Amino acid sequence: MAASGVALPEVKEVAFLERIGAHSHIRGLGLDDSLEARQSSQGMVGQVAARRAAGVVLEMIKDGKIAGRAMLLAGSPGTGKTAIAMAMSRALSTDSPFTNMSASEIYSLEMSKTEALTQSIRKSIGVRIKEETEIIEGEVVEIMVDTPASGTGQKVGKLTLKTTEMETVYDLGGKMIDSLMKEKVQAGDVITIDKATGKITKLGRSFARARDYDATGAQTRFVQCPEGELQKRKEVVHTVTLHEIDVINSRTQGFLALFSGDTGEIKTEVRDQINTKVAEWREEGKAEIAPGVLFIDEAHMLDIECFSFLNRALENEMSPIIIMATNRGITRIRGTNYKSPHGIPIDLLDRMIIIKTVPYDEKELKQILKIRSEEEDVEISDDALAVLTRIAGDTSLRYAIQLITTAGVVARRRKATEVGMDDVKKVYSLFLDENRSMQYLKEHQSEYMFSEIGGGDAPLGSKSEQMEISS
Amino acid sequence: MNVPRQSERIVTYLTDLEQAAEEILTDRQTIIDYDRKRNANRESLRHLKNSSEKKTWIAMGNNFFKLEKVAVEDMIHKDQVKLDTSINEIRDNLKKKVDRVRDIEEKPALKGYNLKPLNSDEMRGLNIPQAYQHH
Repeated sequence: MAASGVALPEVKEVAFLERIGAHSHIRGLGLDDSLEARQSSQGMVGQVAARRAAGVVLEMIKDGKIAGRAMLLAGSPGTGKTAIAMAMSRALSTDSPFTNMSASEIYSLEMSKTEALTQSIRKSIGVRIKEETEIIEGEVVEIMVDTPASGTGQKVGKLTLKTTEMETVYDLGGKMIDSLMKEKVQAGDVITIDKATGKITKLGRSFARARDYDATGAQTRFVQCPEGELQKRKEVVHTVTLHEIDVINSRTQGFLALFSGDTGEIKTEVRDQINTKVAEWREEGKAEIAPGVLFIDEAHMLDIECFSFLNRALENEMSPIIIMATNRGITRIRGTNYKSPHGIPIDLLDRMIIIKTVPYDEKELKQILKIRSEEEDVEISDDALAVLTRIAGDTSLRYAIQLITTAGVVARRRKATEVGMDDVKKVYSLFLDENRSMQYLKEHQSEYMFSEIGGGDAPLGSKSEQMEISS
Repeated sequence: MNVPRQSERIVTYLTDLEQAAEEILTDRQTIIDYDRKRNANRESLRHLKNSSEKKTWIAMGNNFFKLEKVAVEDMIHKDQVKLDTSINEIRDNLKKKVDRVRDIEEKPALKGYNLKPLNSDEMRGLNIPQAYQHH
């Protein structure tokens, strides 16, 4: 057994401010090197078996070993299914695309169901390509341009570039001089010249020249003097999804459509052409397919046509891994009159790896509530936490999490630094949970509009979730 | 005895890591030296093109020689070609060495760098935003 180095968790740079959402406290699956789940780690608490299973699937995805497989996360509501999917997406990083969608998004008037599914599937298949350029990168020491006195001759010039290790002089031709003038390159600027195209890019101004002037423009960026050799080879690896390629090639202003969201239907010919092109590149060794993950939440909302389509799609060699989540038990499959486990046809269930999530126990609930209150920046006292944990056990985890922020507001109102038991009790009485709401309705049904006394409409779903969906 | 064996393993691990890293650093320094020579050659060629003398001085090792300009230009050209190939070779091998270091450190290998590069037409078809943008 070889000695192993310490694998430090990768620190991801936060490029933008994230809103605090229901799952924003999750940083990863919280597994150790042997894929065992730690009780509380990276924002995930408990649910050890499901997390371990997810970890195994994740390893297979990273190895590229399971294209075209499906996974099902099944469990009662509030048991961390979406959380596990979030954790998997964070763990995959930018190498594999992760598409998160809810099954109901398929039903749109603008696109047919198959088009919506095809787009989602193609959003989860990445194509890896490499771009290579030779560039000359250095800090400008001086630029010297001689304009001939006669006015008709060619301009001649010399450009001195340096890095931390070397310095050299370049003779400039007329066109290069023009480009340099256009970009307003001065001594002290750090520039990049693309050898193939002759394009000049200004990276900024060198730190060493920061003190040249007392006032610099708002756009001025200071960078370090480049290191190493002047003529570098720059290789960039990009991962684009097939959907992005589709969109760009399906209309002239392709990239604008990516931002506006709705792309309409993309013609099959365009897709076929792109598939052929990508296959060609694969043959030539210019591209790699990186199948990613398509996560479909509330999978029981898909109907039988979608399921048949998915069956077929999974057989494609480039298919991504489809992870579904549902909290239904034995339900009618939408679009038919047959009942089936989770509302998913048995032939699809057969292809799936099924991971079960179980309700949390009291210790885990307390831990989760503690993590959430830290995430939402609410100080909570220990006895208030205990009350909240009991509430979570009696009602539901989501209800208790919502009480955290509201109790925080109440505590702030009375100028306290942390949430106390009374705050929790107050918000508990202000905001009803599902059961109490149902109780109240049963008693006061007659006072509400359109209710029939003593008969009543179908009861609201309780924890066992046996909702009848009328199609 | 477990303790000596464990510390032995640590020493082996660190030695491997240091050796592999040292190779990479040496290669990088070699590239820098070659590039310096390349630029010096280029400056000389430029100067020779502009001068009108038939013979010119060239330093080889510790000795100075006065030779025909044409012969000198030829020599420098050949040197440039050799330098270019050497630099490209070292850069290609560098990728394998970096993968080896990442392997020892138990980090996942960098994906995609062994692909053949796309040319500019193909890149345009994909419309990927460039890394450095300055408008």
